[in-house]
Amino acid sequence: MKSLYKRLILDTATKSIYVALYLGDEELQVRFQEGLNDHSVTLLPMLEEMLKTIHWKLEDLDEVYIGIGPGSYTGVRIGVSVAKMIGFMHPIDIYTVSSLFLLASSSDSSEIVSFIDARRNNAFMAYYKQNNHVLTEVIGDCLENIDTFLSKVSPLATVIKQGCPKGYKVFTSHMGQKVSELHDLVPNYLQITEAERKKG
Amino acid sequence: MLVMGVETSCDESSVSIVKDGKLVLSNIVLSQIDIHQAYGGVVPEIASREHVKGITRVFDQALKKANVTLDDIDLIAVTEGPGLIGSLLIGINAAKTVALDRQIPIVGVHHIAGHIYANHISNELEFPCLALVVSGGHTELILMKEHMDFRKLGETQDDAVGEAYDKIARVLHLPYPGGPQVDYLASLGMDKYHFPRPLIDSPDYNFSFSGLKSHVINLHHNLMQRAEEFEVADFCRSFQEAVTDILVHKTKKAAKEYQVKQIIVAGGVAANKGLRKKMKEWIQDIPVFFPAMEYCTDNAAMIAVAGYHQYQKNPTSSNMMLNGNSRLNLE
Ligand SMILES: [Zn+2]
Repeated sequence: MKSLYKRLILDTATKSIYVALYLGDEELQVRFQEGLNDHSVTLLPMLEEMLKTIHWKLEDLDEVYIGIGPGSYTGVRIGVSVAKMIGFMHPIDIYTVSSLFLLASSSDSSEIVSFIDARRNNAFMAYYKQNNHVLTEVIGDCLENIDTFLSKVSPLATVIKQGCPKGYKVFTSHMGQKVSELHDLVPNYLQITEAERKKG
Repeated sequence: MLVMGVETSCDESSVSIVKDGKLVLSNIVLSQIDIHQAYGGVVPEIASREHVKGITRVFDQALKKANVTLDDIDLIAVTEGPGLIGSLLIGINAAKTVALDRQIPIVGVHHIAGHIYANHISNELEFPCLALVVSGGHTELILMKEHMDFRKLGETQDDAVGEAYDKIARVLHLPYPGGPQVDYLASLGMDKYHFPRPLIDSPDYNFSFSGLKSHVINLHHNLMQRAEEFEVADFCRSFQEAVTDILVHKTKKAAKEYQVKQIIVAGGVAANKGLRKKMKEWIQDIPVFFPAMEYCTDNAAMIAVAGYHQYQKNPTSSNMMLNGNSRLNLE
């Protein structure tokens, strides 16, 4: 078995872009861009520049970890499309990872609520406990009224709304889920579209 | 040169492989029409979701059908706009991933340039050339003096012609998409109502269809209220005669003024049989061309063909920073 996997982690499910290249658990390259809202322009040139810096090509990768939401922010589809294309072009294992987990990984608190606003007093949220850089999911990704959700978690939990992920925690916490049928990979929207809701 | 075209501007995910800007080796179109039918029109969020769901399958089928691999591709051309932004971005980023992986150039193509170049697949464009672009989003007369050179002579001031067709079809309770239904029924009916022909004699090359559309809808409403009997086919025929009279009259006038060598019709409404017939009947001294039926609606082959010419003309147009632009200008 190969000990040092070449890994790409990608998340564009929120208003920030996170791209990291890992050799095993060691972070070789990382970019975290907040608030520019230009995922479509930036993501591929950014990835290209990072790969060039360490003389890797896409085909050298062993694993790709892709943030799949939750949420239906346009950005999530950009990252997922890119990950799908990489997996389509090369026999690389693709793993999905919750964007809420990546958000939570930015914190070293022992109890974390990661939080992506969804308007109308709702948010995409998840609740994790952390011990020695390993996160355990207590409440998985959900879309819920903010107060209702927070009433279920420890008042000491840190609410994380932004922050650069610590990608190695994906590996230490075994949070990647291997994609079995690449063509079927889609973001985790957690809700049907408004049009579908209205139609009933 | 092998060009891979990618088109995701609306509700069709399409990838095509075209050789030397001419020979279509494959043109895979994954249509979402059945999904949007239930809503009576394209729902942008659903369209985006379907694109990301189907994207790699479409690439896969296009390569297999053409019997080539990504190593054989020299250039990738992708629709940059106009269109639904969320949908455009999926094709653009998928295309960029290929360009990054294979280190090949990538060009962003204007969707309407694509529709125009759909004509180049079966017929060589000759310049100066006049293009009548008619679809659900566009009604324009465009003059081309050379490849990839577009000058807009006029355009609709309100509804696009395809949009007017769809609205009339909805009022008449015809199934979605309504345009082809109206076209079919028109062939069975008579021009009983002599609807107005807005702007037909205006000195410019602009169009207006919303007044005509309202006129048709109001008459329909009145007939229904008075419980008068009428033939839907006559309604469709009368509407279609008014629309095609305007389109053909203005196209003919522009063709004469600019002394063009040929006229091409492009866009979804280029499939309209009434329009095809009248164009050929009224304009006999200048050759009129239509794309093959399969290249009238949105497809990636037309994007590959336009992209080929764009790259030939300007190789520096390759751009990894390219972005979707829902309101991209053709000129
Ligand atoms: Zn179109």
